[in-house]
Amino acid sequence: MNVEIEELHVGYAGRDVVAGVQLMAAAGEIAGLVGPNGSGKSTVLRTVYRHLRPTAGRVLLAGTDLRTLSPGRTARQVAALPQERGSDFELTVREVVTMGRTPYKRAFAGDDRTDRETVARALAAVGMAGQGARRFSTLSGGERQRALLARAFAQDPEVLVLDEPTNHLDVRHQVELLALLRAQRRTTLISLHDLNAAASLCDRLHVLHAGRVVASGTPRAVLTPQLLAEVFGVRAAVTEHPLTGDPLIAFDHREPLPADGG
Amino acid sequence: MAATVTDPHVGEEGAEQSGRWTPRAGLLALGLGVALVAALTAAVSLGATDIAPGHVWSVVFRRLGGAPPRPGTDDLIVWQLRVPRALLAALVGAGLGLVGTATQALVRNPLADPYLLGISNGASLGAVTAIVLGVTAGGSLGLGLSGAAFAGALGSFALVWWMARRGGGFSPLRLVLAGVGVGQFLSGFTSYLVLQAGDEQQTRSVLFWLMGSLSGATWQMLWLPALAVAAGLPALQARARAMNALIMGDETAAGVGVDVTRLRRELFVVAGLLTGVLVAVSGAIGFVGLMVPHLCRLLLGGDHRRLLPLSALTGSLLLVVVDLVCRTAMDTQELPIGVVTAMIGAPALLFILDRRLEEGR
Repeated sequence: MNVEIEELHVGYAGRDVVAGVQLMAAAGEIAGLVGPNGSGKSTVLRTVYRHLRPTAGRVLLAGTDLRTLSPGRTARQVAALPQERGSDFELTVREVVTMGRTPYKRAFAGDDRTDRETVARALAAVGMAGQGARRFSTLSGGERQRALLARAFAQDPEVLVLDEPTNHLDVRHQVELLALLRAQRRTTLISLHDLNAAASLCDRLHVLHAGRVVASGTPRAVLTPQLLAEVFGVRAAVTEHPLTGDPLIAFDHREPLPADGG
Repeated sequence: MAATVTDPHVGEEGAEQSGRWTPRAGLLALGLGVALVAALTAAVSLGATDIAPGHVWSVVFRRLGGAPPRPGTDDLIVWQLRVPRALLAALVGAGLGLVGTATQALVRNPLADPYLLGISNGASLGAVTAIVLGVTAGGSLGLGLSGAAFAGALGSFALVWWMARRGGGFSPLRLVLAGVGVGQFLSGFTSYLVLQAGDEQQTRSVLFWLMGSLSGATWQMLWLPALAVAAGLPALQARARAMNALIMGDETAAGVGVDVTRLRRELFVVAGLLTGVLVAVSGAIGFVGLMVPHLCRLLLGGDHRRLLPLSALTGSLLLVVVDLVCRTAMDTQELPIGVVTAMIGAPALLFILDRRLEEGR
């Protein structure tokens, strides 16, 4: 199922945070959103899982305007991993993952066999089989993120939307999470801070800057030293990763470019 | 499908915990039910005049069977005084357990108090106004007093609602700010009225009411809280899954298809009306709504599908027992029930939290 975003505007208190964004993820493709802080990545993603309503423009799921779908119907097709990290409400891992079944359940309906099997499979897919009875609040950052990903899987979605899923994870856990996403082969919209991770994972990149998309295409086509200078304000060389052949960005960590860019 | 990996644990995991009612939770619910019946029996049996439990039940069955009551004071004490009071305690306790659970999910804080939303302050103002203006004579909780309290609750509910929705959102922070603001504003008026109260008797009845009391229980007072609990439990239970998602965060809830603003609005209506009814019949009995859901959560976890009915049951049991203590602890006078719930509740909660922290998990 492909996702298209057309002329999207989102505003808080009269100010457009996202002003005319146009981007897409083709079916089965991993599309990355990159850009500096405050460029509008999270805001765009929030409209796809319907936490925010666009002030103008459309989000299309396989050509259908999201606004014509009920919230429940949307959630059966789109699952999200927002940046929220849970709470102290004494839920077990299984209870958190079972939340993914919410859009399939009527009021008062208990968990049936399908629910339990889907939840168990989702836990297994993230390598947490047999850990369902643990308390969610006692998990480490990496485990917590995997459990939340399992909750997204339990939604049985066609589209995954992930907002900075590797934040606060150590390198090993980052690599594991990205490998997991790669193996899923689902239509995915993901925002990432780490440009090298984005270059390695994504089939397509959209670069956001001040609420607009300034470049779209394959990582190799998009991530040029000029763009990195203009959008991120850093000096960098782009070469080839000696192990994987992916584009590899080597930043100059010694000093930033002058404020008005190079 | 969700995942491509085949998993040897699928069967085991499915069997290990089948849905929402774990064996432990079921056993606990059964135990609480039995304890509640025992507590109700004790509450009717004990008092200034002790009546044997067997005799209590024979009076109750006789009445329920529609047979004419045996002449004598036992029937009067059991059927007219103690049974309605015990049932009122059970209903108010159940309601406080429910409303506490709903409020804690609503403002996403496991230690939130239902009175945080300012509704009890409105009810108190209504009731105190009625007492001071002399709508009811003396300290008895007549229907006039309950009516005034409920009107006050609805008024403050409308005020908090109006303030919380300004600016569009129904965010937890806005709700708490609006609730605390309106609550303090109204309790200022209440304090003023207490100072203006004409005589000592009025002041005493106002204070007694503010600290919560079940002493005026009659059969006529039961139908409103009974209706509120009977409607409130299924209304909340129907939203239990959505409440689970809500406590993880607004974005998480939206992501699993919950209309967050609408859910908050619905929870606020249910919590507001329930609180209004409860405060109207019993005054502001503190700490039960905070403590009971928290206690149940620590014992059985936070899944609202279990938490809601168990909080209702636990609240019932607690309040029946506490009211019994209030009636019988001192020979000369009754203790205000709100004082006792705080005196038992606060240390109990601290003890539990402390032990939990020491477990290190």
